[in-house]
Formats: sequence, structure tokens, C-alpha cells
Amino acid sequence: MKDKITVIIFISYLLLFSITHIIIKDQEMSYSERRYLATFPEFELSGEYIKELDEYLLDHFPLRNTFRSIKANFSYKVLNKLENNDIYLKNSYIFKSNYPTNYKSISNFINKTNKIKGLLQEENNIYMMIIPDKNYYIKDKHFLNIDYDYIYNEISNLDINNIDIKDLMELKDYYETDTHWKQEKLEKVIKRLSDKMNFEYKKIEYQKHVYDKFYGVYYGESAINRSPEKLKYLTNEIIDNAEVKYLENKELNKVYNKNKLDSFDAYEVYLDGASALIEIINNEASTNKELVIFRDSFGSSISPLLIPYYSRITVIDNRYINSDNIKNYIEFKNQDVLFIYSTLIINESFSLKG
Amino acid sequence: MLFSSITFIYYFLPLLLITYFIVPSKFKNIILLIFSLLFYFLGEPKYIIILILSSIINYYLSKLISKNKYKKVLLIIAIIYNIGSLLLFKYTDFFIANINNIFNTSIPFMYIVMPIGISFYTFQALGYVIDVYNKKHEPAKNIIEFMTYLTLFPQLIAGPIVRYSDIKNELTKRTTSFSKFSEGIKRFVIGLSKKVLIANVLGEFTGLIIEETLISAWLKPIAYTLQIYFDFSGYSDMAIGLGLMFGFRFLENFNYPLIANSITDFWRRWHISLSSWFKDYVYIPLGGNIVSMLKWIRNIFVVWFLTGFWHGASWNFILWGVYFGVILIIEKLLLKKHLDKTKILKYIYTSILIIISFMIFNSLTLNEIFLNLKNMFYMNNIPVINKETIYYIRDYLVIFIIAIISSTPLLKNTIKKIRNTKLNVIINVLEPVTYIILLTLCTAYLIDASFNPFLYFRF
Repeated sequence: MKDKITVIIFISYLLLFSITHIIIKDQEMSYSERRYLATFPEFELSGEYIKELDEYLLDHFPLRNTFRSIKANFSYKVLNKLENNDIYLKNSYIFKSNYPTNYKSISNFINKTNKIKGLLQEENNIYMMIIPDKNYYIKDKHFLNIDYDYIYNEISNLDINNIDIKDLMELKDYYETDTHWKQEKLEKVIKRLSDKMNFEYKKIEYQKHVYDKFYGVYYGESAINRSPEKLKYLTNEIIDNAEVKYLENKELNKVYNKNKLDSFDAYEVYLDGASALIEIINNEASTNKELVIFRDSFGSSISPLLIPYYSRITVIDNRYINSDNIKNYIEFKNQDVLFIYSTLIINESFSLKG
Repeated sequence: MLFSSITFIYYFLPLLLITYFIVPSKFKNIILLIFSLLFYFLGEPKYIIILILSSIINYYLSKLISKNKYKKVLLIIAIIYNIGSLLLFKYTDFFIANINNIFNTSIPFMYIVMPIGISFYTFQALGYVIDVYNKKHEPAKNIIEFMTYLTLFPQLIAGPIVRYSDIKNELTKRTTSFSKFSEGIKRFVIGLSKKVLIANVLGEFTGLIIEETLISAWLKPIAYTLQIYFDFSGYSDMAIGLGLMFGFRFLENFNYPLIANSITDFWRRWHISLSSWFKDYVYIPLGGNIVSMLKWIRNIFVVWFLTGFWHGASWNFILWGVYFGVILIIEKLLLKKHLDKTKILKYIYTSILIIISFMIFNSLTLNEIFLNLKNMFYMNNIPVINKETIYYIRDYLVIFIIAIISSTPLLKNTIKKIRNTKLNVIINVLEPVTYIILLTLCTAYLIDASFNPFLYFRF
């Protein structure tokens, strides 16, 4: 009798999931993982077919997210693992380990920055602001962190004015479930920039718009159930009236793309996310000063807050545009030039184009 | 296709089970054969022809051998065919590389992709032909029966090396029962858990690129030893479990090798089907130990050179095999009698030698082996421990403890003891629940992870 029960339970368990999969309709995308799911593969006479079939069946397995959550909880709570898929949990924050220090990548970043510097003129005022990723602020002496001192030391050897903001930021200035910093926490950074870049800081009033269903990139990776966060984006008349031209998205002419709030990544509301080159013209500016920003995704949320201080801002993401190509879109003369990169990209800089 | 894949567990297996148990008995071998070929075809579509060819050639050669005409010539042809195909598919580039090195030539590599499982099914076929030659058993009655044996999916691609004589009765007439099926399920789930929940997690540890310390220099080969044990014995458990579901009882392939008290004992417990194959088809035909001392030493070296070489076309595998050969000779001539008198020392001695052996097994070059040895014996200027090592010890501590306990019969013996008490009722209730929890956890790990290679597929 006992054996019969074991057999019946086992077979029923297998069939429950295989039949459920056949019955239920395939999902097109996974929001928690920010990707399109695999489609049923066409047969081909190679070992690749079974890999694609595995991938398809894994992607569409019933209760997929629940199973991922079971695995994560088992890892943390039973196996007492500190990390699951490189994800480290501390209080309500989700961190992703970027350990170890990638010295080749740091050297590559220095070379790429020097290449861009070669495009600039003597009249350009050049600044570099390195943003510590949120792992820098983990209060856990055991956590393995990259060698931030080495990164800052290497950057300081570049002949560029460094703007250090390590002392300004705190963990609460970053999203709990995402890589990025919060736009509404950046006023102190703007003030530091004004001190270092010699523009006059103004106390500016903003309207705060709140999107309260924000799940950051680490949420999906962690597979841990939790409530969403609030993503805020700041507007005022100057930001709203700015003329904006995107190199790729010709239809968009605003600083914020609100359609992105319901996309895979709501953080892309700032400057449309991944954009190679954006030109922002502030016709209401009381100055002729222009700014060129070379940036990674952290630059998307801070750039709008700099609009009131410049007549024109050109925002360049050299993960999507080659430095040789930049000259076709911009003439360097006497602009302020600000490099804004997070330590994350410096430690993984091979995505930057040459 | 991997046993530890969603495709196999939730689609291939239920479909096969339903089909197999619906059809009348006389079609069951055909169904097993079709599904075994499909199982192989899905993973290795082009090389299925090699498998079918091997089945046909070995079947007809053994048939002719059994008729006693030119049987020696036919046996030689069978050996040349089987060893030849193994050499061609597995070792060609190894030989080219070594010829180029020795003679300073530049013969281009052929980059032949090795058919999955060729090392296993070739040895099964060769053993079968030799047994027919030696009249240990009659040849299979028909090609379907032989092909069902040779291509039987549970043991087709990563063993154990099942002898025809061990399952010949079951091939013609076998019984299935709820008891056998239930035993098979439990064995399959245990094997799957060993692979997915222990071996794969330990694999993450062995794959870490960290600054070497004295502690990490030991922990990495320890983790690898445990990983390869749980990986391979897990696969064997799954094979044995699947066999049971279809009414076959394969011989055990592992018997807690990591609690061995000597290397001689270790090889009685590790990959039993391979060591007994070499014993029966190489060692004993060479004279075994009923020869002069020099010839016996030669026989040991031949067997262990071949055992190492069987594992892969690389010098570290040969070194690994010869390493065991040397230790076995020393044990037999000098050490064994002294070791037997000790209580704990023999276990420490065996464990250290096993750990070093798998460090050799897992190294790509001789330089790497020497560097690892120097680190392990503190002959390099490395720290004893650092923050990084401490972090990863904390991270993997529980899985190490689980792995070490599970590599001993402690759990099995405890359950056995409880079964003899009144608490047996609790075990009866908890058992199916535990297996479902394990299957759920394995499914969760498979869905979450892409890290899932079976180590023994490369052999």
C-alpha cells in the first residue's frame, strides 16, 4: 500500500506540471526578469535543439517564479548561504556582489576616458564624478567588496578635476531593489557640483511625481517576494519646457518618457533609458554655458536636475556610441565636460565603446 | 538529454512510463529501444549512427563468434573496431598534439567531437563480445534484445557499465511491481538531489576564482572531491532508480568510497563497474597477481594507465591513474598491514591521498598540479587564511556539512535503526513527503540555475 501511494504521488506530481504547462497559454515575457521568454524551438538536426527545448520548457514551467522563490529561500534560510546568484540581502536592501576587483576593466576605463579626452579642446573644463555603487555603503565588515580605494586612486591619476561624493551619499539614497540612486536625493550632489564646477547653486522647487509600483533590477534576480518601491521623478517649468532631441527616438521630445513606467524597467523614465546621444536645450537659461555629460545609467536621473544651470546639455552614453562617431554630432569648444560613471561600470567597463 | 533536466523529468519520463506500461509485454523492449534512441538522438542527433552501427557490428560479430568459426579473428576484429572507434573519436587530437610536441611537426588538429557516452557503451559492447568468446553467456537472441541492452537509456551515456550477463534474464522476462517502482522513484530522487542540491552547489565553490590561501588550497580539492562523488554517484543512483522503474536491477556502482580506509578499499567502492571491467578484461587476462612480482607490477601499471586514460585524453588523467597504481603497489607491498593496525590514521591517510588525486584530476596542466601541491603543503608564500576565504567558508559551510555527512552511511544507518523501533510509523509518513520536498527543491534549482553540466559526460 505504501509503495502504491509513493508511485501515485510521484506520477501525479510529474503529470500535474507537464499537463498544466500544455494547457496554460505561454507567457510572452517575464517582467521580474526583464526579458522575453523563449519560444518553442523549430527542430534542427543538432544538439542545439535539445538545449533550446530545455530553455523553452524552463521558461514556461508552471509556477516558475514560485519555484525560483523556493530556491532562493532554501538557499538563504536552510543552506544559510550569504549569496544566492550573487544576490546579498541585508535588512530590506538587495545587493548584487560585483566582487572581485577587475583590474583589467579599470585600466580599460582609464584608456577609454583618455581617448575621449583626446577629442576635447584646451578650453573645455573637464570634471570627473565617480558614483560609488550602493555596495560601498554596506554596513557589514564581512561583505566582500571591490577595492574602491584602488579605483579612486587610479581615477585621481587622470588629469581631470575630480569631484568626490563618497561622503555625501548614504545607503538610503539608493533604491532597495535597484542598482541606482534616487533622483529626489540628488540635490546635495548638484550643490557639490556647483561648488566644484563654478556655477551658482539655486534652490529650485520641483514637483514630485510618484510611481509606486517600482521593482528594481535586483528584485527579479533575487526571486524574493517583497512590496514595490516608490520611484519619483522631479519636474518644474524649466524641465518641462526644455527642448529635447534623442539620437535614436526621434518621436520623443521630453526629458521623461512616462510610457517607460509600465515597461520592464521603470527607471528608464529618466531620459528614455538607453540613449546614445541626447541634446537638451534650455531656452530660459540665464547663461550661455554649455555642458557635455559622458555618463552611464546613473547619469539619466541627475542630468535633468542640471538643466536650469546650462543653456545646452549634451548627454552621451559611450556604451552605445563610438568615440570616433561623437565628433559627427558635437563640436567641442569651451563647454564644461562632466564624466559621470558609477564604480559598477568602471569594474565592468568592456561595454564602453572605443 | 540530461536526467537532471526539466525536459527529462517532466516530459520524457512521464511519456515513456505511460507508453511503456500501456503496451503489451512483447512490445516493451521495442518501446524501451525507441525511447532510448530518442533520448540519445535529442542530445546527439548526428552521432546516433555511430551508436546504431556499434550495436549492429557487435551483435553480428558475437553471433559469428558463438558459431566457433574463426572466432579468434572475429574477436580481434571486434576489439579493433571498438578500441579503434574510441581512439578515433576520443584521442585523435591528443595523439596529434603529442606527436607535434615530440617530433616538432605541425599536423593539423581534426577537432573531432566525441559522441556522448562512447566510453561507456564501447566498453559494454566489448565486454559483451569477449564474454561470448569466452562462452560466459550465449549471444543475445535477436538484434532488438541486444540493442535494447546496449542503448538502454538509464546507463547509456554515463554508466554504470552494465554487463549483459547481469541483466540478460531481465531483458527477456522481467517483472515490474509497485514495490520495485517505488524503490526506483526513491533512488532516482536521491540521485537527482545529490546532483542538483549538493554537487552543483559545491561546483559553484570549486569554480570560485579567489586569492589562494593555505585553507582555500585544501578546501577547493575537498569541494571538488565531494562534488565529483555526488555528481557521479548521483547519476548512478538515477540510472539504478530508472532501471528499477522498468524492472531492471543494475549492480551498485558506489559504496560510500569517501569512508574508505585505504586506497585499495577506495577502489572497491568507487566506480565499481569500471574497476571490475578492467579487472576482468585486462588485469586477469594479463595474469593478475598469479605471476612474478615484476609482471604483477607491470599488470598494475597497465590497468591504472588505462583507467586514467579512459577518463580523458589528457596527461593529468594518465598521471591520476598511474598515481593510484603506484599507491596500490606500495599499499600491497608495504603499507597495508601497518595501516590496518591504526584506528584513525588510515582514514586520514586515505582522505588526503583521495583529495590530492582529485586535485590532479581537476588540473589542466602539470604546472597547475605542482602549483596546487606547493600551495597545499605551504611551500609557496601564501597566507594561511584571509577575509575572502572566511567569507566563502561562511557562505558554503552548511552545504559542506551536509555533503560530508551524506558521503557517509550515517543517515542510512540512523533510518535503519529507527525502522526497527516504534517510530517506524513516523518514517513511513515522512518518507513520501521528504521525496516530494526533494523533488520540489530539485525542480526549483533546475528552474533557477543554468549551471548544470554532468562532470562524467566528458569521459
